[in-house]
Amino acid sequence: MHHTFRGGVHPKEHKTRSREVPLTRFYPKGDVVIPVAQHIGKPAKPVVWKGDAVQVGQLIAEADGFVSANVFSSCSGTVKAIEPRRVISGALADCIVIENDGKFTLAPGIGQTQEGGATKRRSPEEILEKVQWAGIVGLGGAGFPTHVKLKPKDPAAIKYVIANGAECEPYLTCNDRLMREHPSEIRDGLCFVLSMFPNAVGCICIEENKPEAIEIMKESLVTDGGSIDNVSVLPLHTKYPQGGEHSLIYAVTGVDYPVSMLPADVGCIVLNVGTLYAICRALVKNEPLYSHVLTVTGDAVKEPKNFIVHDGTSFRELAEACGLDEAALKKALSGGPMMGFAAASLDVPVQKTTNGVTLLTADPVEDAQRQQTACLRCGRCTTVCPQGLLPQLMAEAADHRNFERYEKKLYGLECVSCGSCSYVCPAKRPLTQTFKQVKAEILAQKRAAQAGGAK
Amino acid sequence: MSTAALNLSSGPHVNDRWTTKFVMYIVALSLLPTAVVGVLSHGLHALWIILAAVGTSVLAEFLFDKLCHKPDTWLDGSAFITGLTLALTLSPSVPIWLPILGSLFAILIVKCCFGGLGKNFINPALGGRCFLLVSFSTPMTLFAVDGVSAATPVAELLEGQTVNVTQMFLGQSNGVIGSCILTLLAGGLLLWTMDVIHGHICFSILGAFTLFMGLFGGRGFDPTYLAAHLCGGGVMLGAFFMATDYVTSPVSRFGQTVYGILIGVLGALFRVAGNSADSFCYSILIGNLFVPLIDMYILPKPFAYRKNALRLQRGEAPKPLVRRIPKAVVSLTVIALLAGLALSGVYTLTKEDIDAQKEAAAWAAYQEVVPDAYSFDAVEAAAEYKGQRYGEAFGRVTLNEAVKGFDADGKLTGYAISVTSAEGYDGDVTLSVGISADGTVNAISFTELHETPGKGSLAADPEFKDQFNGRSAEFFKLLKDGGADADDEIDGVSGATITSKAVVNAVNAALDFYRTVIRG
Repeated sequence: MHHTFRGGVHPKEHKTRSREVPLTRFYPKGDVVIPVAQHIGKPAKPVVWKGDAVQVGQLIAEADGFVSANVFSSCSGTVKAIEPRRVISGALADCIVIENDGKFTLAPGIGQTQEGGATKRRSPEEILEKVQWAGIVGLGGAGFPTHVKLKPKDPAAIKYVIANGAECEPYLTCNDRLMREHPSEIRDGLCFVLSMFPNAVGCICIEENKPEAIEIMKESLVTDGGSIDNVSVLPLHTKYPQGGEHSLIYAVTGVDYPVSMLPADVGCIVLNVGTLYAICRALVKNEPLYSHVLTVTGDAVKEPKNFIVHDGTSFRELAEACGLDEAALKKALSGGPMMGFAAASLDVPVQKTTNGVTLLTADPVEDAQRQQTACLRCGRCTTVCPQGLLPQLMAEAADHRNFERYEKKLYGLECVSCGSCSYVCPAKRPLTQTFKQVKAEILAQKRAAQAGGAK
Repeated sequence: MSTAALNLSSGPHVNDRWTTKFVMYIVALSLLPTAVVGVLSHGLHALWIILAAVGTSVLAEFLFDKLCHKPDTWLDGSAFITGLTLALTLSPSVPIWLPILGSLFAILIVKCCFGGLGKNFINPALGGRCFLLVSFSTPMTLFAVDGVSAATPVAELLEGQTVNVTQMFLGQSNGVIGSCILTLLAGGLLLWTMDVIHGHICFSILGAFTLFMGLFGGRGFDPTYLAAHLCGGGVMLGAFFMATDYVTSPVSRFGQTVYGILIGVLGALFRVAGNSADSFCYSILIGNLFVPLIDMYILPKPFAYRKNALRLQRGEAPKPLVRRIPKAVVSLTVIALLAGLALSGVYTLTKEDIDAQKEAAAWAAYQEVVPDAYSFDAVEAAAEYKGQRYGEAFGRVTLNEAVKGFDADGKLTGYAISVTSAEGYDGDVTLSVGISADGTVNAISFTELHETPGKGSLAADPEFKDQFNGRSAEFFKLLKDGGADADDEIDGVSGATITSKAVVNAVNAALDFYRTVIRG
């Protein structure tokens, strides 16, 4: 078996400052701002009105269709407004604003241990229904509704359920902490998912730079009722983007698949350890997804910390709790530096998919622009591309706006925007950034052509 | 506390510490030991050459940037490398204006005129060297040891002589400034282990070159012979530092391998068939010109679209690696063979015409060297010597033909003997020697002379060749330093000792044939 993928880069990890800081629950003090669209698919429809009293874990927006997800309140208080607010992406999006009473009163039935706990066997339908109810989405960053992922065309064809604990993003340590502090919940979550697929085995993938987590997860597989045979822990080489779906599936199975296929098409289901934790909490504790783990880090904060954070908490509250030096702050990232998004302001809310807040005193993108030179054709981008693409030629085709060559000859749409090429480029060319743009343009052209054809 | 000051941008938000400058200066650094050894073994003049080339390159780029209002690129290190590599490919005895002119051509014409860094279509340093070689061949090909011109190891190799490989390895032999193989190899391997240069390029060049030399070099896989060819004529400098130039090499791994094989095969072919000591630089330049074509058509598919991945996606077993390798080997061999066949095909197709022309030229030469002859008749005794090496004392000389000349009355007026020496600086030298009935030399005439223009080619000038006219001697003696006064002494062409020696040997062989076979 392979234990890594081809290509990849080794950015400086910056994890030591926060990796020994235990998870603590962060209770927001101010209002919470909860966007109704925190997932891929249709935005949820609000089911509360301005002035309504809400409690923690109460449904406030309902999934609109199958590919959508429920949204729950993360504090108790009164709905103050339902209005467009600035979110991480910089856009204005519909949000439910709740005035926080600071009591965090749980809604009836929420957080209560269910009959039989984790040992009770549940039918696939029961699990799927609960996951759908709990509004669980992929917590690795993409935010794809998990119940959709758990309903492949042919459940018998699924061979691997992969728990993604790679955490290859620099700076972030919250999944490391989650695995070290809550291994049994992750294991139980994985076992629930495995019980839905008769031919599948479980594989917990962790990068080798987290030896404690590897050890603890291994120990968690030996329970009072005997060891769990169909789950194994797979240590992976420490390399970015090891946690990407394509890289992970290649590391586990040796199969490459194009972006037009889903992991399920090659017999895999990949779930982040945070997602598995949420699945376990939903089934065992009847707790929907309104909080998740997150790391606040970067050189602009004095004390980086790992939190269990409530949706809708503002970045500012989190940053200030970690000793933010606002005067020095130059860049605020939602997520880590490789795939994270830059936020225009700290007054944006945490979403389900926010797994980190990285606050930097310098802007590497600005530095890169200053150091930019002409392309040397050195080929370092080709060496590191985990998809086996030729970023240098793709950038050339993009510059010439030769989208035909970009798409058909160079397979440019296979780019997963991992950022390795931009990271490694000595000429500091904005490769990934260009590819994101070109991809959007080509897809827009295709949609326009389709719409034109339909008329 | 305004938060609008936060910078917005698309990721990734972290950069590797490698920059263009870092890459360039690490290459320059790896060339430095070679330059130092070059100066130590060739003297201080080599240092001035290096400084002139580097200084001019950097200055030319600076001025171009300023005059064309372009962003400053003169300090990014690429001009520095161009100057340095150009200097390392020059003879240590060239006048200082030569590297200056070469650097100007390399930077201004080859690089800046085509769009600067990343846009040049051939390696600027090689472009500059090629320009100098065709424009100023005399100083470019003059390799003097203590003021006396001498052959470079490759030139000697091509003549069939043996060379001292250890000396070449340590940079102690006669050659360009950057000829120390030890430091070149160390620098190249350093760059390779640091992933600065692509092993696919340099090792496929060296592999293809060695294989081709071994198969067609005429000496088999004789390790000393192959090592001497690898160590000489800029093969190492070219393979590690010039062919690997990012801008003028293909992007994909397979493309790089094809490019490397092309250069290696061409380089070896030029050595075997071309007899020029400078051929390797041309093979790299030709390789450079193929790069856009290679990058257009040799595009590897992404991992997910390769055959094995498709099999796995369908749930089939993958093809084992052992069964996949031969295909690449076969296709690479076919490419190499095609390149060789194409060139030998051209040779065969044109051979007949060339032979006819050669014959006509030979008859014209006979008339020239036996001017009062009305008709010619073959000397039958020559037939049994034809095409064979003649004697041991004249080097590799072969006898082609001998004819008797008669005047209009049928009276014998003299003989014309055509001989070829294979020991010219640039291949065969063929000439006809006219001998009058009393045994004095009438004249000589060249029918084949590809010697270096302005140097060996001067052998055809009356100043040299007319020295033989009207002389009679048992054997002529060549004086390298001039001052011939005795009847059997000949002044060599200055700076072309090899050519002069080949000519005198050929004439002596003809005389020997006349005395021992014709006169009996």
